[in-house]
Amino acid sequence: MTHHIEELKKYAISKLNLNAIGITIFLLFLFIAIAAGIISPYNPWIRFEPYIPPNSSHFLGTNDMGNDILSELLFGARVSLIVGFGASIIATVLGVIIGIVSGYYRGMMDEILMAITDIYLMIPRIPLIIILAALMRPNFWLIMLLIGFLWWPTTARVVRSSTMQIRDASFILSVKSLGFSDKHIILSEILPNINHVIIPKFMLTIASAMFSEASISFLGLGDPTMKSWGMMLNFAFMKGGLINEMWWWYLPPGLCIVAVVFSLMLIGFSLEEKENIVLGLE
Amino acid sequence: MKILEIQDLNVKFTTPIGEVYAVNNASFSLNANETLALVGETGCGKSVIANTIIRLLPQNAEISGNIFYKGNNLLKMSDREMEKTRQQEIAIIFQNPTLSLNPLYKIGDQISEPLLVHKKINKKEAFTKTKKLLKTMGFQNPSKFTGMYPHQLSGGMNQRVLLSISLTLNPSIIIADEPTKGLDNELVRDIIEEFKTVNKINNSSLLLITHDLSIARELSDRIIIMYSGDIVEITKTESFFKNPLHPYSKILLNSLPERGFNPPKGNSPSMVNIPKGCKFHPRCPHKKKICSEKTPPIYSIDEGDVRCYLFQ
Amino acid sequence: MLLISVVVDCVSKSYSYGLFSKRYDKILSDISLEITKGKTVGLIGPSGVGKTTLAKIIMGLEKPTSGKILIEGTDIWHISSEDRNISLKKIKMVFQDSQGSLNPKKTIKQSLYETANLMGLDVFKGESLILELLDRVGLSSDIFCRYPHQISGGQNQRVALARILLVKPEYVILDEPTSALDIAVQAQILELLNNLQKENNFGYLLISHNIPLIEFMSDKVVVLDKGSIIFQGDTKEFTKFNSLKNKNNFIGYK
Repeated sequence: MTHHIEELKKYAISKLNLNAIGITIFLLFLFIAIAAGIISPYNPWIRFEPYIPPNSSHFLGTNDMGNDILSELLFGARVSLIVGFGASIIATVLGVIIGIVSGYYRGMMDEILMAITDIYLMIPRIPLIIILAALMRPNFWLIMLLIGFLWWPTTARVVRSSTMQIRDASFILSVKSLGFSDKHIILSEILPNINHVIIPKFMLTIASAMFSEASISFLGLGDPTMKSWGMMLNFAFMKGGLINEMWWWYLPPGLCIVAVVFSLMLIGFSLEEKENIVLGLE
Repeated sequence: MKILEIQDLNVKFTTPIGEVYAVNNASFSLNANETLALVGETGCGKSVIANTIIRLLPQNAEISGNIFYKGNNLLKMSDREMEKTRQQEIAIIFQNPTLSLNPLYKIGDQISEPLLVHKKINKKEAFTKTKKLLKTMGFQNPSKFTGMYPHQLSGGMNQRVLLSISLTLNPSIIIADEPTKGLDNELVRDIIEEFKTVNKINNSSLLLITHDLSIARELSDRIIIMYSGDIVEITKTESFFKNPLHPYSKILLNSLPERGFNPPKGNSPSMVNIPKGCKFHPRCPHKKKICSEKTPPIYSIDEGDVRCYLFQ
Repeated sequence: MLLISVVVDCVSKSYSYGLFSKRYDKILSDISLEITKGKTVGLIGPSGVGKTTLAKIIMGLEKPTSGKILIEGTDIWHISSEDRNISLKKIKMVFQDSQGSLNPKKTIKQSLYETANLMGLDVFKGESLILELLDRVGLSSDIFCRYPHQISGGQNQRVALARILLVKPEYVILDEPTSALDIAVQAQILELLNNLQKENNFGYLLISHNIPLIEFMSDKVVVLDKGSIIFQGDTKEFTKFNSLKNKNNFIGYK
């Protein structure tokens, strides 16, 4: 049996290359987002001549307002990643707390929390955000919060089931019998042993949140004062970029969204897979 | 008649922490219709021998020596030939009976599958054969059990089903790797009975790998004792329990419940930090100067084979 | 007697499932036994009869449906939870799965230091005590930086024992303490357990399905079957009872 696992570990290592690709792409975008102010050629709000195709002074041309698209794209990375990270942090923190509490204490608490989770899972999330965004003034922070507060149920489910798996493990029982507090057990015994499910889930939630932000912005319900990739796509569509075949306008933000989501998926899945292999679940 | 002969088998693993010599110069043979017990502590290399015989070792293993099965060297066979041998000639039973069965298929399907695939007989015939087999394995009402799923049966029954599966193709050798580990007494006794039945109805040989001396005593004709990768003693089971030869065998027997749990001194060496010479010498009450210098060869005496300078 | 023992008095336990359903499973019915300081009570029975549930109830990890647990005369479910925690400090448990009873993500050192910390020992005092106890259970300090999966089953069980000595209990529940170990190592751990009992005057409740082991270790034996006690008496009587039952194919095997 041990040899079997050894072999699987080898397989896991060969799979890690995918992880490396994902991390490289992701770090590249993270760098862009952080260094946007230094590396972008212009301020994205400055106006040049509109509808210029790509040339030597504007690598990706300009849009209807005459903004440099490359600069918009670089600054857009910042907005999109902040929404993704922010929403995912909120969702993961909520999901982990709810998941651990219901998985660890079980009983009535578990029944109630899981009932709430089920209700949340039934909510059609994008339409709800659309309605809320339409009712309130669209705001960048509001969208981030909304996504965060709607995206936790799947994390809670996953965390709950992993917690339930190890809550009866003998090392938990033995620290419990030694008299450690529930707080210590949850933070110091359970959490380190389930972070292998939390981290990939966190990555996948970032991807999902970014994608949702793009969808919402694309529908014109985003924050007009923030240039996110979804917002850029929205303008390209509204102002006739697609009809006039100005590919330099609508293609780059779309590709960037795909690339970041893809890289996060790669990281998330390969982490998940690695863990499954080490546990011998596959 | 020797059905399986292992000559000078060495297995070495290359790991990040160094080279691990899991089996050193192991030579023994399995006779037709015999039960041979391979006994040793966790990590002494007994399961490695089993996995070497059916060639299921990981890639970082380096094997030398010969394993002859009916005159053919198993280590030199092509993968295809080996697959065929594994399916039809040598069967292996793993530790956990309930986990070794697929929970999604009915018992009857799982037992008849090898017949359908390898013997190419039709489904009806295969099922008749399955029922017959279940009956000999002590299931009173086989037609009822063929339609059940593994989780509906107890652990002991599942072990019987597993045995039935391994018997469907009438293998010449059955290798049982710790068939009783982690089970409670009632089940262990059940399983011992099952193996006894198998011995009676089937003329296959059994290689029983276990750390439990009492099971070896119940079932085996001969016994092999391993210590830290070395075979230290091969004797008839009866004489082993009366008169063990190797000093390690003696301390092992003394730690048995019926001899009063006499705890031995010291611990078995870890696989990366093995003493020079006889591996048992740091714990041995009879150690001489030569013991720490050179590994003793196997000496054959009347009672059996033993790797110790006392029998020079 | 009452003040130097843990008394289990007519304890029953049943589980109900779901929030609204009325399904009950009775695991234990009317169990009474007594664990006295310096003595060993053996608890034997086939798997799935509620031995571990009983251990959890005695540990205070689960509340009995009916009946009382008296720790040195105090009924633990009729006092405040702080008082209960003080009473329960006197009982600790050693688990079967020695590898699994230590957190796989922590080194041996971390696991032991946390426990010393829990007992309110400062770093310096804690360290010297830990080293002393490791030596007592037959381990050297070079296992400190290893993780549980890097040391053998016997060593893990010794670490678990050292950790229990650290919290100074008076009664110890041993749940199959050696069934996952090799025969030779089993004998070593049993000897260690016996010596620790003599030194610390521990009261042991030894749970096992291994009859020779129970006979070897115990002063009194309790046989559990299908949730109730079918035999209770001293070890000599148990041997008689077992040989009698063996003819009817009961729990023993040669």
